[in-house]
Amino acid sequence: MNRAASPSSQGGPTTHAAVARQVVMEFSNGEERTRVLHGVDLALPLGRMSFLVGPSGSGKTTLLSILSGTLTPTAGEVEVMGERLDRLKPADLVRFRRRRIGFVFQQYNLLAALSAAENAAVPLIADGVAWGTAIRRAREVLARLGLAGHEHKLPRQLSGGQQQRVAIARALVHEPALVVCDEPTAALDAQSGRGVMELLDAASDDPSRAVLVVTHDDRIYRYADQIYAIEDGRLVDADASHLPHALPEHGTPSP
Amino acid sequence: MLGIALKMLMGDRVKYLGLIFGIAFATLLVTQQVSIFVGLLTWGANPVLDVREAHVWVMDPRVRQADEGLAISDSALYRVRSVEGVEWAVPYFRGATTVKTAEGRVNALTLIGVDNASLVGLPPENRVAAAEAIRGRNAMVLDETLVGRIWPDGRDPVGQIVEINDNRVTIAATTDALPTFAGLPVGYMKFTDAITITPPERNKLSFVLVHARDGVATAELARRIEAQTGLKARTREAFARAGLDFIVNETAIPASFGIAIGLGVVVAVVITALTLAMFVAENLKSFGALKAIGVTNVQIHGMVLAQSLLVGVTGFGLGIGGTAAFLAGAASDPGLEGFLMHWQVIVGALVAILSIVVGSALLSVRRVLKMDAAVVFRG
Repeated sequence: MNRAASPSSQGGPTTHAAVARQVVMEFSNGEERTRVLHGVDLALPLGRMSFLVGPSGSGKTTLLSILSGTLTPTAGEVEVMGERLDRLKPADLVRFRRRRIGFVFQQYNLLAALSAAENAAVPLIADGVAWGTAIRRAREVLARLGLAGHEHKLPRQLSGGQQQRVAIARALVHEPALVVCDEPTAALDAQSGRGVMELLDAASDDPSRAVLVVTHDDRIYRYADQIYAIEDGRLVDADASHLPHALPEHGTPSP
Repeated sequence: MLGIALKMLMGDRVKYLGLIFGIAFATLLVTQQVSIFVGLLTWGANPVLDVREAHVWVMDPRVRQADEGLAISDSALYRVRSVEGVEWAVPYFRGATTVKTAEGRVNALTLIGVDNASLVGLPPENRVAAAEAIRGRNAMVLDETLVGRIWPDGRDPVGQIVEINDNRVTIAATTDALPTFAGLPVGYMKFTDAITITPPERNKLSFVLVHARDGVATAELARRIEAQTGLKARTREAFARAGLDFIVNETAIPASFGIAIGLGVVVAVVITALTLAMFVAENLKSFGALKAIGVTNVQIHGMVLAQSLLVGVTGFGLGIGGTAAFLAGAASDPGLEGFLMHWQVIVGALVAILSIVVGSALLSVRRVLKMDAAVVFRG
């Protein structure tokens, strides 16, 4: 388990895919402002799978959104592969996200009209890769994830576990440095959930990539290399009260 | 991304087909109604356009269009002939009467009396045979367009004897005149025959048809005739347009067609806007995922525009095809002759339909563009 990290990116090669420093997030509702993150420090090392856990409303999803560049924090810094996200222009941030970050969503969010291969190829197609090339690379990734023979199927023709594998293929097809996963097993049965986590675990073994999983699902905590626990917008010690069944099998992580 | 956009659209078949058929129906309604309206307008001009030799029409000052028969004095013909620049001037009778067949069928008829000598006013179709035939006493050349209204059994009208105001008239030949707004069969006789068989009136000269000398401007000639005779004189083009203007300004037809065309536009707007809005709303999560993944707003704009253009062009094509089929079918009905889909109607409808679908698409996509990409992580 680790405490709230205070990583530094000064000097040396990048060892972390993402680093957050003193991240604050406030939402305003009329004149009322609600602070949901209170100066969070966090680092996601390359070649590791990190978990972000905590109760509902603790700020997990907000922190995930900020780390993935889909939400801009009120204060603080976020670096992904050495790039300060707050210094990027909006168009550059979108391009950066497209090329360096992969996304796995709780409800898969596959496009219903597209085949598995086409869904997996979306980040490449969005980045201007030719359709045929993108589909070929997507098929290769799908095959690695055990979906050979399913490339032409539409999402509705696949099981939940298979759909999430397609979503993982979509998250990996452009070889991103950071893969963020929002409750990737929440909609799956235990067996499918294990299969998905094994794929993400394998993906995190790549030394040029980090995987961040936000989850409530304590059945999968054992896949974590490190676990950040968050409560009321603050990272806390990940003690047994937070993680009753969740001692990582991979040893004690450190950022 | 265009391929993805089109697959997204076509993947939702109910909305895709709903959009296409909605746009097709609107296109059909608009182009068909506009084509018929334009056709009716040209009918208003046809009585004048069918008399090709006349450069100027001279009439009672109160006459607004060719079917309004307010006769002028016979002397008008000679006064007009005396105007400088007139090459020739001939009398022309145009009036409504009733024709009765040997079987007792009665039908309204537009009777035209053309100059005995020159036959100016006789349509060009079958002119030689008609010119020969019309010279007989009480001989009539009948426009074949609506002949079926007089003899529904489809018999050849040539040789038939009909009765007009107790006068026996022989159908000596047929011709093919341009259809007119009055929508009645048209019969041509010599001027003297026409004024003889119609009920007696003080004056029977409906119009004086004028041919200008070479080099004389017709508009100037018309002004000169008006100044010297006190009658109303209009060039062929101006008087044809007056027939058209009469329909626009003096009848309820533009309002009626305008309502139908307006409904077509409303159908297009409502169906397109609502369906596209529903499509975007139902795909909001997908668009959110695309935005999170890194699809730019410009790309999303392009996607939605491609989707709207596809349904717009497809629906428009089907609608135009439907109108073309309708007009082709109508062409076989003599009573609907002259209804054409002019290129201006096609271009105008295309611009209108594409404006509607593109406008609706841009409105519906605003929600996506404003949407925070992080929304995809929220429940």
